[in-house]
Amino acid sequence: MITFKNVTKLYKPDTHALSGVSFDIKPGEFVSITGQSGSGKSTIAKLIFAEERPSSGHIHIGDWDISKISMADIPVLRRQIGVVFQDFKLLPKKTAYENVAFALEVAGVPTRRIREVVPQVLKIVGLGEKAHRYPRQLSGGEQQRVSIARALVHRPKIIVADEPTGNLDAINAREIMELLKRINDFGTTVVLVTHDRDIVNALRRRVITIRDGRVAGDAERGKYSLS
Amino acid sequence: MPSEVSIPCRNMRSFFRVIRFALQGTFRNFWLSFVTTSVFLLTLLTVNSLIALNVMADGAIASLEDRVRIDVYFTSNTSEDMLKSARGYLLGLTQVKTVDEIPEEEALAAFKQEHQDDPLVLAALDEVGGNPIGNALRISAHNAEDFGFIIEVLNSSPEYSPYIKDSNFSDSTTAIETLSAFTERVRIGGYALAGFFAFISVLIVLNTIRVAIYVHREEIAIMKLVGATDWFVRGPFLIEATLFAFIATVVMAGVTYAALTAAEPHLMTFFTGVDVALVDYFVAHGAVIFGAQFVSLMLLGVLTTWFAMRRYLRV
Repeated sequence: MITFKNVTKLYKPDTHALSGVSFDIKPGEFVSITGQSGSGKSTIAKLIFAEERPSSGHIHIGDWDISKISMADIPVLRRQIGVVFQDFKLLPKKTAYENVAFALEVAGVPTRRIREVVPQVLKIVGLGEKAHRYPRQLSGGEQQRVSIARALVHRPKIIVADEPTGNLDAINAREIMELLKRINDFGTTVVLVTHDRDIVNALRRRVITIRDGRVAGDAERGKYSLS
Repeated sequence: MPSEVSIPCRNMRSFFRVIRFALQGTFRNFWLSFVTTSVFLLTLLTVNSLIALNVMADGAIASLEDRVRIDVYFTSNTSEDMLKSARGYLLGLTQVKTVDEIPEEEALAAFKQEHQDDPLVLAALDEVGGNPIGNALRISAHNAEDFGFIIEVLNSSPEYSPYIKDSNFSDSTTAIETLSAFTERVRIGGYALAGFFAFISVLIVLNTIRVAIYVHREEIAIMKLVGATDWFVRGPFLIEATLFAFIATVVMAGVTYAALTAAEPHLMTFFTGVDVALVDYFVAHGAVIFGAQFVSLMLLGVLTTWFAMRRYLRV
C-alpha cells in the first residue's frame, strides 16, 4: 500500500531530515511512526501526502510512484488520502459541516450525495448535534473530530494522522485514538505519527522508530523504544 | 468517489461552488471585505475628483476663451455686400466660431473705448470729424491661439485687406498668449496630478489586496492540503476582487451623481456664472467613465490577487 524505497530528504543547505529510509506498509495495517522531535517522522507524513518531495529514492502509494508527482496530480493524490493534523487545520469561517463537506466539494461530488454523507460521518465522530458550529465554538477534542470526519468522508484507503493528540488532554486523546482504531477496523490503513509513549504502548500495533532521519526499529507489535 | 459524474457536469458544479464560496467569504469576512471595498472606493473617489476638477478647469478655460473677441474695423466706404462677403469668408474658416456685424456707431464707440488711452488716435478722430469708422466684424474663435491665423488670413486677402482699417488683435495679443499658455499649463498640470494620484491609488490597492491574501494564507494552505486544485482555491478570491470592484464602482457612481447635483449650484456661484455642467458631463460620459473604472479596478484586483496568492499555493 505505502512503500518507501531508500528515501532521502535533504533541506538546503545541508540538513538531512531523512537518510535512506525504506519500509513497506500493507493494506489495512495500523502503523505508528515514532521518534523524538526533529527525528524526521513528520517529514515521512508530509512525503506521503506530497507536501514535501523526496530528494532521492522512491515512494509508492499503491501502484503510483509519487516521488516526482506533478503539481496537477497532487490534488488527485490528496483526495485519496485522509490527513489529520496536530493543529486540526480547519477552515475558521466554515462550520463543522462545511469543513467536512469541503473535502467532497473540491472533488466535484454532487450536492445531494454530500447532504447524505456528511451528517453520517459527523454522527460517527460524535458531532451530529454540533454540525453547524464554527471551529471557534468547539473544544479542541471536537475540532480534532471534525478533522477526522473530513479525512474520512471521501472513504480513503489511507489515513495519515500527524500528532493528532498533540494538542489534546488525556481523555480527548484516548477518544481520538479509539476513533482511529475503529476506522482501522473497517479496513482503512492508518499511519499514526506520534511521539506519545503511552499511546504507542497502548496500541500494541506495528511501530516504526525513526532516529536521526533513519529507521532505527520496525516491530510488528512494538512499543515506544526511545528514552 | 462516484465515478458516474461527467467532467463538464463536475466543472459546472465546481464553478457554482466557487461563486458560492466567494459570496460566503465576502459576508463571513465582512470587515475585511468592507475595508477592501472602501480602499477601492477611495481610489475611485480620487480619480473622479480629478476628472471633475479637469472638467471644471476645462469649463472655466472655455468660458474665458469664449469671452475673447477680436473686432475688425472696416473703412467707412466698405459696402454692405463687401462686409457680408467678408463675414461669409470668415465663417468658412474652421477656426472661426462666430462672426457678428457691428453697426458703425457702435463700432466707433468700441474703437474710442479701445483707444481711450491713446490721445493721438482720439485727436485724429476729432480732427477728421464725423465717423471715419465703418461697420466692424466681431470674431470669436474656437481656440484663443487661432486669432493670429484668422487675422493674418484676412489681412493677406487682396479682396478684403484694402477695406480693413484696424483690428484690436495686436492689443489683445499678449492677453491671448497669456491665456493660451495658462490653459495649456492647467491642462498639463491636471494630467500630471491625475497620473500621480492614480499611481498612489494603485499602490494602495495593491497593498490592500496583498494584506487581505496574507490574512487568508493559512486557509489557502488548508484548502490545498484537503485536495483543492489551484483554480478551486483561487476562484473565490478572484470573484471577490471582482465583486469589490463592482460594488465600489456602483457606490461611486451614486455618490458622484448625488455630490455633483448638490454642488453644481455652488460651483456656478464660485465660477461667477460659468456653467461647468459637471452633472451633464458625468451623465453623458457615465457609462464610459464608470465602465472603464470598473474594468481597470477589476483587472488590478484580479491580477494582484493572482500574483499575491502564488506563493501561498505552493503547498
